[in-house]
Amino acid sequence: MGAHISVPMYQRTVPQRYRLVANACTQCGAISFPPKATCPQCSVGREFTPVELKGTGVVYTYTVIAGGGAPPEFTAQARSRGRYPVVMVALDEGPKVVGQLVDCDPEDIRIGMRVRAVMRRIYVEEEVIRYGFKFRPA
Amino acid sequence: MREVALVGAGQTKFGDFPQKGIKELFAEAYAEMLSSVDKGLDPRVIDAAYVGTLGSGGFQLGQVAPLLTGHVGLTGIPSVRVENACASGGFAVFQAVLAVASGVHDVVLAAGVEKMRDLSGEKSRYWLGVSGDTEYERLAGMTFAGIYAMIAARYMEEYSVDRKYLSMVAVKNHANGVRNPKAQMRKAVALEKAMGAPDVAYPLNLYDCSPTSDGAAAVLVVAAERAHEFTDRPVYVLGFGAGSDYLAVHDRETITSFKASVEAAGRAYEMAGLGPEDVDLAEVHDCFTIAELIAYEDLGFAPRGGAPRLLEEGVTELGGQKPVNASGGLKAKGHPLGATGVSQVAEVFLQLRGQAGDRQVRDPKVGLTHNVGGSGGTATVFLLGRD
Repeated sequence: MGAHISVPMYQRTVPQRYRLVANACTQCGAISFPPKATCPQCSVGREFTPVELKGTGVVYTYTVIAGGGAPPEFTAQARSRGRYPVVMVALDEGPKVVGQLVDCDPEDIRIGMRVRAVMRRIYVEEEVIRYGFKFRPA
Repeated sequence: MREVALVGAGQTKFGDFPQKGIKELFAEAYAEMLSSVDKGLDPRVIDAAYVGTLGSGGFQLGQVAPLLTGHVGLTGIPSVRVENACASGGFAVFQAVLAVASGVHDVVLAAGVEKMRDLSGEKSRYWLGVSGDTEYERLAGMTFAGIYAMIAARYMEEYSVDRKYLSMVAVKNHANGVRNPKAQMRKAVALEKAMGAPDVAYPLNLYDCSPTSDGAAAVLVVAAERAHEFTDRPVYVLGFGAGSDYLAVHDRETITSFKASVEAAGRAYEMAGLGPEDVDLAEVHDCFTIAELIAYEDLGFAPRGGAPRLLEEGVTELGGQKPVNASGGLKAKGHPLGATGVSQVAEVFLQLRGQAGDRQVRDPKVGLTHNVGGSGGTATVFLLGRD
C-alpha cells in the first residue's frame, strides 16, 4: 500500500468513511473499527454484524500539524488555512479513530473534551473529491 | 540452537551525499566491515546476505539485495531484502542471526542502506508516510511526526510530564553526536534552543525529530564456534527478540508503550538470562525524542512514567550509569532507515571492543540495541556481550 489512496481503495471503505460502519463480533459482542478479519477483543471471532457508530466520543490525544509539514495531498489545505489539528478520539462504543478537528482553535483543544463526527470534504485527488469524517467540538 | 557471534562491523558516515547512490554507500560500509575483521576475511566464505532497506523514493523496488551484493562481488549466495520500515536493518540482523543459530549458515552478511537526501521535501513527506496504516492515518492528514506527536501528548498527559524532558533527549544525543565522526549532526544544542525550535507537529518541534539521511552499515554474523578464525575479540549475541503490533496506533489499547518493543525485549532478556540492570549501554530507537523516553520504559530501564527521572539524574548520559545512544542516536548520528538497526549493532560492537574513540563508554560488558519500525508496528532487540 502506498501513501496514495486510489479511487477503488477509497471506494471499498466508503461505509466506514461516510457512516462509521463498524463490526460487532458475533462471538463476544465487541465492536471494532476499522473492521478487521478477526475480532481484536476475543481473537477468535471471524463473523460480524455491521453496526453504525454514533460518532461521539472524547479526545484521547491530539497533535497540530504545522502547515509546512503537511503530506502533499494536504498542502492545498495547509496553504489556505495553515496548521491544522488532528485528534485521536475514543468513541463511546470503544474503538479509537483519528480525524481532523474542525471549528476549534488549536489552543482550546484538551485531552478529554467531547467531540462528534461530521461529514467533511477531505481532499481532491485524481479529480475525485474524497469525503469522510472529521470531528468538531460536541 | 547454535551460539552466534559478530566478528566485523562497518558503516558509512551518515548524512548528505549527493555523489553517492545506494551501491556506493553499500560498498563503502561493506569495505569497512571487511577491514574490521582482525584476522582478515575471504569474502568467498560468506554463505548468505540479508539487506535491510525501505527503498524510500522507489530508487530500486525489486531485487535490491542481489543488486547490492553483486556490486561488491558476492554472487551465487542467497541474498534477500528485508523490509520492516525503520526496523528493516534490525530485522536484517535478526534474519542473519536466525540463519546462523539454526545451523544452516556459518557466515552471514547483515547490512542496511538508505538513500533519502535525493528527494524533494514534498516527495520525502510522501514517502515518509508509507509505513503507517495509510488507509486511515493518512486520510486524516497525519504525518509520521504527527503520530509520534500524538504519543507525546498522551504521555505528557498521563504522567504530567513537562516538554522539557523531550528536549533533554535532543540535548544529550546532540552532545554525543559531536564525539562521533560518523554522525550527521555534530553540533551541540542548548536546552533553551531545543525547547524553542519551531513546531513540526505539536508538541514536537524541529529538535525532537531525527533528520533524513543517506547511509549504509554492515556487520558479519558467524557461528560462535568459528568466531576465533576471524578475531580474538568476538562479540557474542547473548539474546535476541522481535515483536509486532497493529500498525495503526488507534488500534492499540495504549499508545504510551510499544507492545512490539516489550515483546522483543522480553524474549531477548529471557534468552540471555539477563535483566535491564545488566545492560551497561544501549542504542535505542530515538526517531523522535518521545521514542527514547518510551524506550527506557519498554526496555525496563525505568518504571512506567519514570523515564524523565533517568534524564533528570543523568543516568543515560555518556558519563552516566547506563549511557543511551552514545553514538548520538538516530537524532544526531542520523537515520537512514534501512541502515539504522545495523548501525546500532555496529556501534555496540565497537563499544564492547573498546574501539569507540571519544564516545567510548567505560568498560562495558553488555550492550543492547533496540530498533523500531514505523510507530511501533515492529521492533527488534539484541543483547550483545564479550568474553
